[in-house]
Amino acid sequence: MPTSVTHDILIIGGGGAGLRAAIAAAEHSAKLSIGIVSKVYPMRSHTVSAEGGAAGVMRDNDSLDQHAKDTIFGADFLADQDAVEILVNEAPGELIQIEHWGCPWSRDPDGRISVRSFGGMSVDRTVYAADKTGFHMLHTLFQTSLKYESIHRYDECFVTSILADDGKARGVTFINMYSGQVQLITAKAVIICTGGCGRIFPFTTNASIKSGDGMALAYRSGVPLKDMEFVQYHPTGMPGTGILITEASRGEGGWLVNKDGYRYLQDYGLGPPTDTPVHRKMELGPRDILSRCHMQEFQKGRTFEGPYGHYVHLDLRHIGEAVIDSKLPFVRELSRNYLGIDPVYEPIPVRPVVHYMMGGIHTDADGKTPMDGLFAAGETACVSVNGANRLGSNSLTELLVFGARAGRAAAQYAEQEPAGPSQPLDALAGDEQRRLEQQYFRKEGGKVRISEIRDAMQHAMEEGVGVYRNEEDLLKTCQTLRDLRHRFSDIRIEDKTDIFNTERTTVLELDYMLDLAEAIANSALQRKESRGSHTRTDYPDRDDENFLKHTMVLRTPEGPKIEYAPVTITRWQPEERKY
Amino acid sequence: MAEATLKIFRGTAERSEYQTFSVPTYQGMVVLDAVHDIQAGQAPDLAVRWNCKAGKCGSCGAEVNGNPRLLCMTRMDQYPAGQPIVVEPMRRFPLIRDLVCDVSWNYEVNKRIKPLAPKPREADGTYRMQQYDIDRVQEFHKCIECFLCQDVCHVMRDHGKYDFAGPRFMVRLAALAMHPLDTVDRLRDLRDAQGIGYCNITKCCTEVCPESISITDNAIIPLKERVAGEFYDPLAWIWRALRGKKADTRNPVH
Repeated sequence: MPTSVTHDILIIGGGGAGLRAAIAAAEHSAKLSIGIVSKVYPMRSHTVSAEGGAAGVMRDNDSLDQHAKDTIFGADFLADQDAVEILVNEAPGELIQIEHWGCPWSRDPDGRISVRSFGGMSVDRTVYAADKTGFHMLHTLFQTSLKYESIHRYDECFVTSILADDGKARGVTFINMYSGQVQLITAKAVIICTGGCGRIFPFTTNASIKSGDGMALAYRSGVPLKDMEFVQYHPTGMPGTGILITEASRGEGGWLVNKDGYRYLQDYGLGPPTDTPVHRKMELGPRDILSRCHMQEFQKGRTFEGPYGHYVHLDLRHIGEAVIDSKLPFVRELSRNYLGIDPVYEPIPVRPVVHYMMGGIHTDADGKTPMDGLFAAGETACVSVNGANRLGSNSLTELLVFGARAGRAAAQYAEQEPAGPSQPLDALAGDEQRRLEQQYFRKEGGKVRISEIRDAMQHAMEEGVGVYRNEEDLLKTCQTLRDLRHRFSDIRIEDKTDIFNTERTTVLELDYMLDLAEAIANSALQRKESRGSHTRTDYPDRDDENFLKHTMVLRTPEGPKIEYAPVTITRWQPEERKY
Repeated sequence: MAEATLKIFRGTAERSEYQTFSVPTYQGMVVLDAVHDIQAGQAPDLAVRWNCKAGKCGSCGAEVNGNPRLLCMTRMDQYPAGQPIVVEPMRRFPLIRDLVCDVSWNYEVNKRIKPLAPKPREADGTYRMQQYDIDRVQEFHKCIECFLCQDVCHVMRDHGKYDFAGPRFMVRLAALAMHPLDTVDRLRDLRDAQGIGYCNITKCCTEVCPESISITDNAIIPLKERVAGEFYDPLAWIWRALRGKKADTRNPVH
């Protein structure tokens, strides 16, 4: 029988959203006991990799309506406008709050918080801490979380299932990496904050932990995933490693040039080119459009060819060493370490790379999912504020605003929810332990290597669900993924030990990713239009009549089932998205 | 294709051995790539922590040829060809398995540090700070908590003095002490609970820091000066007795 612990609120994931939710719940009431289960130590979470900044209205030349409009426009009108208004209204307060907790925002000479320009934003509104914004935020949130006696952490514990009783989320089972034991935490409310799933793709800025565990856990619990076909390609990743070169490098004035040294974005309606950056123009266009321009340059034969495929140049030389060192020190550091290039003297090779999931677990603006007691926030959730394309620097804001809201909503829910009986959960946890032992821990035989299925899945995703998509390739990818799901049952697991068995977690992650890959590919297959990051060569136009709606994908034994839900339009009527 | 030999520590505290593997090398390869190559083909059961592969998450700290390093930031071509590259777990911490050790002690130490308590906001609800002050704090906040400095520090590694909080937490304490908003006095804790007196400024921590934080010069020495000023400077005692003031605990000496 798995050992059991009880908390009022249990949070899966200890990154930015999870910690913000934990702090919000702890501040709501000191009586609530809060658990955070994370498969890594807190500072390893992928929030550390966010570089550019967090958007919020901070200046007199800006307005909440303008931030909302930019976000909705950037989202190609697929964002829920009531949720976007909540995001922009609560953003400034959250940004000041985290400064109050010690986050060292970069300053202007008069001592105020500095703001920088970002893609698709019509004024400077991105607050930053050099080019390690996510890092400083996570650091601050983690140290702040230590103040609360009521927050308990379970580091390096891998969640395998959400337990439900009477239709309500009531706890989780997890593998303790140190002992290999399956354990149970019961709770009145569960919040999923596990981030994205970029690892489904071969070439991504995402760290190895980004396997979408929480999305898959919700999906398996019968909760729909929303708008999963919208995958953001960031236009400036390093070839080979996929390491991100922040959009802030373009906000500070960097240029994208093709192999002829030509600022090619002017050929795609983003011009005219200017020496200093202009909001929403050229290099400050939104990410989906910039990634498509790159692919078209490649098709025209105007990109460079390297050992890791096609690339263009991000030129920062004209910005000068002083600005690079003060505003973009990390870009210089990464370029030197991983490319052997100093951006002060040489352009940086870059190409589009999978970066962010606009889609995720279906929630309302309080992080509530359709399942009672189950909440989600951060990249793993889809509220939706990002719609068909997220604007850079809205995601750090999103994890603060909606992390806090989910934490408070879960706290209120837990306060009025009676503690249910523990016997059904003990029984469910026992079942889960037996399932894990039979399928994985004690599995004998098996012929297929983990890496074989993972590579095939990643390849299929790149082929079918890349920057450009069409019916034929999508059908092929959906079929390949179905076949891989069947082959997965013949997986070979060689490590039979219990202590820190990473092969075990790798195979469980692959299991999750296969579910999500199918959800993404099938959602993309059914959306017969082009909107935001989802570009169908066979349906090149946006089709508001038939597809101004959210995709909802549900898991069935036969594969993903697609349904749709309406988009909330309040004050901004859909119009052509032109920059 | 060129090959490299790696001698990797395998096993647990009860039973361990060094296993030797050969891997093909390529330009730009780091030690973590070699470990992944071994995991993919020769030893799927090799336990190692890793995540971002970009020197940001701090997961893959280990010892390469006896030096504490991040595996993802350690280029293979810096080691002489033909000699095996020895990869071991950080020695200072209890071993879990293979290259993975138990660093949870650090989190316990961290819990005992008094958190930031900011001064009141300006009338308009914001704080005004200068970039000069922010730069200093940002340097300390660069710490990725890889704990290589905790691994190398001889106070703990060789002398087993675990009442010293270690360089990582001197950096954290310095970040708090020099934060423009902070109001808390932690000098007594620094002397007693965090044992700053144990550090004899050998700068080993600064040498291994993958984030190039000047741990000794910018964090530990200023903190030592403040502790000395507060508790050990007889002139300062008299001065404070006459003026009726406490030592200045917030602003560093420029």
